[in-house]
Amino acid sequence: MTAPATNPPASANDTPALAVENLSSGYAGAVVVREVSLALQPGEIRAVLGKNGMGKSTLLKAVMGFLPKMGGVVRFEGTDATRLPPHRIARLGIGYVAQEKALFQDLTVEENLRLAVRAPDFAAALAEVETAFPFLLKRLRQRAGTLSGGEQKMLLMARALATGARLLLVDEITEGLQPSVIDRLAGVIRDARARHGTTMLLVEQHLPFALAVADRWAVLDRGEFADAGATTEPDAHARILRHLSV
Amino acid sequence: MTESRRLSMLFIGFLLAAAVIGAGPYLLDTYSVNVLTRSLLYAAVALTVDLLWGYLGILTFGQSVFFAAGAYAAGLVFTHMDFTPGNAALALGLGVGGALLTAAIVGWLAFWHGASALYASVITLVLPIVATQLLYTGGEFTGSSSGLSGFTSFDISMEGWFWLAGGFLVCVTTLAVLFVQSDAGRLLVAVRENEQRCKYLGLDTSRLKITVYLACAVIGAVAGYLYAGYAMVVAPELAGFVFGTELVIWTALGGRGTLLGPVIGTLIVDYESAQLSGDYPFVWQLIIGVVFVLVIVAFPRGLLPVVADVPRRLFRSFLKRPARPVASVRLSTLDPALTQGEAPGDGPALAVEGVARRFGSLTVLDGIDFAARAGELVSLVGPNGAGKTTLMRCIADGAERSSGRIVVNGHDIGRRPPEACVALGVGRKFQMANVFETLTVAQCLQIARVRHARPSLWRRAGELHLPESAMHVIATTGLDRQLGTPAHLLSHGMKQALELAMVLALEPRVLLLDEPTAGLTKTERMQIGAILIDLARRQGLCVLLVEHDLDFVREISSRVIVLHQGRIVLDGSVEEVVNSELVKQVYAGSGHAGIQHQAAGREEVTP
Amino acid sequence: MIAQGLDIVTTAAILYAVATGLLLVFGVMKIINFAHGGLMTLGGYAALVTTQMGLNPWLAIPAAALFGGVAGMAIERFAVRPLYGRPLDAILATWGLSIILGQLITIGFGRGVQFTRSPLEGTLDLLGESYSAWRLALVPIAVVLGLGLTALLQGTRLGLETRAVIMNEDLARGLGINSGLVRFLTFTLGSALAAVAGALITPLSSVDPNMGVPWLVNAFMLVLVSGASLFSLALSCLVLGGAQVLVSTYLSPVLGGLTIAVLAAVLLRIRPQGFARD
Repeated sequence: MTAPATNPPASANDTPALAVENLSSGYAGAVVVREVSLALQPGEIRAVLGKNGMGKSTLLKAVMGFLPKMGGVVRFEGTDATRLPPHRIARLGIGYVAQEKALFQDLTVEENLRLAVRAPDFAAALAEVETAFPFLLKRLRQRAGTLSGGEQKMLLMARALATGARLLLVDEITEGLQPSVIDRLAGVIRDARARHGTTMLLVEQHLPFALAVADRWAVLDRGEFADAGATTEPDAHARILRHLSV
Repeated sequence: MTESRRLSMLFIGFLLAAAVIGAGPYLLDTYSVNVLTRSLLYAAVALTVDLLWGYLGILTFGQSVFFAAGAYAAGLVFTHMDFTPGNAALALGLGVGGALLTAAIVGWLAFWHGASALYASVITLVLPIVATQLLYTGGEFTGSSSGLSGFTSFDISMEGWFWLAGGFLVCVTTLAVLFVQSDAGRLLVAVRENEQRCKYLGLDTSRLKITVYLACAVIGAVAGYLYAGYAMVVAPELAGFVFGTELVIWTALGGRGTLLGPVIGTLIVDYESAQLSGDYPFVWQLIIGVVFVLVIVAFPRGLLPVVADVPRRLFRSFLKRPARPVASVRLSTLDPALTQGEAPGDGPALAVEGVARRFGSLTVLDGIDFAARAGELVSLVGPNGAGKTTLMRCIADGAERSSGRIVVNGHDIGRRPPEACVALGVGRKFQMANVFETLTVAQCLQIARVRHARPSLWRRAGELHLPESAMHVIATTGLDRQLGTPAHLLSHGMKQALELAMVLALEPRVLLLDEPTAGLTKTERMQIGAILIDLARRQGLCVLLVEHDLDFVREISSRVIVLHQGRIVLDGSVEEVVNSELVKQVYAGSGHAGIQHQAAGREEVTP
Repeated sequence: MIAQGLDIVTTAAILYAVATGLLLVFGVMKIINFAHGGLMTLGGYAALVTTQMGLNPWLAIPAAALFGGVAGMAIERFAVRPLYGRPLDAILATWGLSIILGQLITIGFGRGVQFTRSPLEGTLDLLGESYSAWRLALVPIAVVLGLGLTALLQGTRLGLETRAVIMNEDLARGLGINSGLVRFLTFTLGSALAAVAGALITPLSSVDPNMGVPWLVNAFMLVLVSGASLFSLALSCLVLGGAQVLVSTYLSPVLGGLTIAVLAAVLLRIRPQGFARD
């Protein structure tokens, strides 16, 4: 894995793929994410870690427009996306993989893919799916709810990649998965970035996975970034674990 | 406003209204007196729509049926039997009895546990359809579609009927205002706002709804009885869906949840309808329709609050900003000798035996076994989806678990609903602060005490006795300085503290806390920690809490249970947990080897 | 026996035609459109206008669809959209619009009962029974309606997006689907279907400004016991409509009028999901 240890030097047309500035968000009355800022360079994979309830999912939902932004600005490739509704944000080229209820269980695999792919060329999207998870092509007519848990997560990833999104927001894709499936997902993610330069923001609890696929990591603690670094630094694992467990 | 001031204001209002009714026939022409008599009776029924919809949150289309029950009881008795004072009393009894019976059936259908608001509305919608059709099938007996007319009735002058109808309306309205402002009346709003919290405060909300519904049926039946006596004609339209929805329209126009709004709205609209519908029948209905839609979309609170707001807006610059609300309630510590909580039984305060929870083929909890003593503080930890909140839910609601046994204080909870589990000594604090947003801090606390201190139907208590533990929380967090503040204006931390105080006011023996420190500042967390230690050590509560912050757990708790994928992975001391390799793996996300994978059925609310 | 069988099938067909529009709106928007009755009335008067202009009575159907669709667009935009999140208020607002529609029609056409020409006059002999031709024709029409809607929902991009919004609106939005537009189109289609149903039933009875209202409650109950499935709706129409025919024949027609509402209410009390799969 060739991960840039630091952000590449800024150049004239070097707009971040995703720029979040002083974003605050949460639920009625409760601010969960407090004035968070981050900038992802094009093609960068960033892992956000932290214990439950620290605001990781809230961060993604706020960026996607599902939760109100109580303050701050979100820009995608320089376009202000702060006030856009979720479907407009998605159409900018952002793919969101939610942690739960992320598939239409009663629809077929193909229908789940078609819903996400807005481009007229569905064959190209299927080719992308084939590269990532060829088994899905044989299951196109199967209802998504009848796939196993691991297969569902692979379909989620495949769907996100098939849209050709330039930025993916992925919420705990590894949750509850077998190690072999996790390895496979890691391979697909790295491969997709290598081929398309896709930028990704991964919310993770699975430390080995996060360190294996991401270039940089950050730890959210009670809605604020408590620590951050490059995944290549030797003490990354220890530093993150300090925040994660006892 | 003090209690005596409130009661005297209400009395003055009553006298003024009575004076207006008394003067009415001398100031109005005969035609108006005649029309308004009807409007006054309709207004009494609209009042019941407001009690149910505006206060209790039940949108009802069927109040017309109770009006018709009273009216038809009079019509039938006076048509088929002679008019005698005895028969008049019989008719009233039949009308009220019929209305009560109908309301009981509807209540059974519509207000069972778990019935949705939409379903309840649907039942009230079916009711008038059924009633009208039954009247049609009555043939000669009910007069079918033309109804009954020409029966003998009370020998009362037109003015007399106006006074009777007006007197009835003024009395019913005054009583209704007295009730909704009372401690018991506030329960209606509490149920509308947050029925779940009410149940977990030990209140039988279904029974409350049915009781209010029965009372409203009686008011409607008496109004209908008076209507038949004065109009000397009854027709199936009185029971109909159209009349039922008109009552809702008048209530919405006047202002739901204001009592006076619906009464005034009904009087104006029904009176004007009589005046104008002769000249411009369809245009008038059209205007009502347009205004109704506009009000629903733009002024959902109705017109009375808008009108009442005008002087306030006009003179805002002259008036000072309202001072911080002052609570009219004093708190005091309940004499420990008077505490009514369940006495601690022998053996463990909480025993969980072989509990499992399955959703279809998915197992979220399996083989959960543990027991906790009084005075013990047990922390429940585990990653997302481990089943922590599901376990809490199984302990607080007998209907939740799929198998196994839960014993609280020596009592098996069986399949009891949450309010019955509360009676056994379970107190549950939810993950997201779960309080009554529009009620003040003091009012929220009062509702939490309803189970122990029966609220008055017409008075507001000036003093609230709370158990020492609740008082301690209130004093430590400074809630006692915010007693008059509506809960939705509280900070997140204060809301959490309020909910904790409410649960403690129940005097529970087993306290369930779902992430009590989520979203709190460091100081607030330390406060809560100190309170929890105090509750366990000094008050002898058995505390079970879900917590992610293991530093916090270490400070307060001796015992930790680690849940992972629905099973207990470890039950031991904080040190054992901290040093466990297995727990480390669970938290680093790689502790899945050999443990069955689960795809869905996650119960946590993950912010 | 045969007459009764035909009664059951034709009644179910009529109920199905009346309830589909309501079902679509309920499925996507989770609100009960109380303007459905008023929109049916509108469709009935579209048929009346067609008759009065001396046009082919079959033209009543597209005319009704047009009127209903346009009215539906206005209702969605000005009354339903602002009440997203206040479903009980949406019921009331659509009921108010039903009143407005009824009064506008009264002002325009008067209160009286009027009659339209039927696209198919007279009777047909079927299995030895002489039966109303138009009632019989409603059965294939309802089938075509059901199949057409199914094809729309199952076979088109819009239908797929609509089903996605029914199942999980947030997820659909996250995939770039404009659920607001889906709602608007659904309401428009549902309103057009209501008006078409109004035009379909007028040849059986007559036209008056309140003709749609009695249908509302039955349609509403059928939708509640059917969930959001066109198939469950067909089943509910057959079972409950059949019960209505039997009660009307053997007990009393008036009690027959209650059958659907009462059975549905009790059914929902016992089995809250009704005829829906789970």
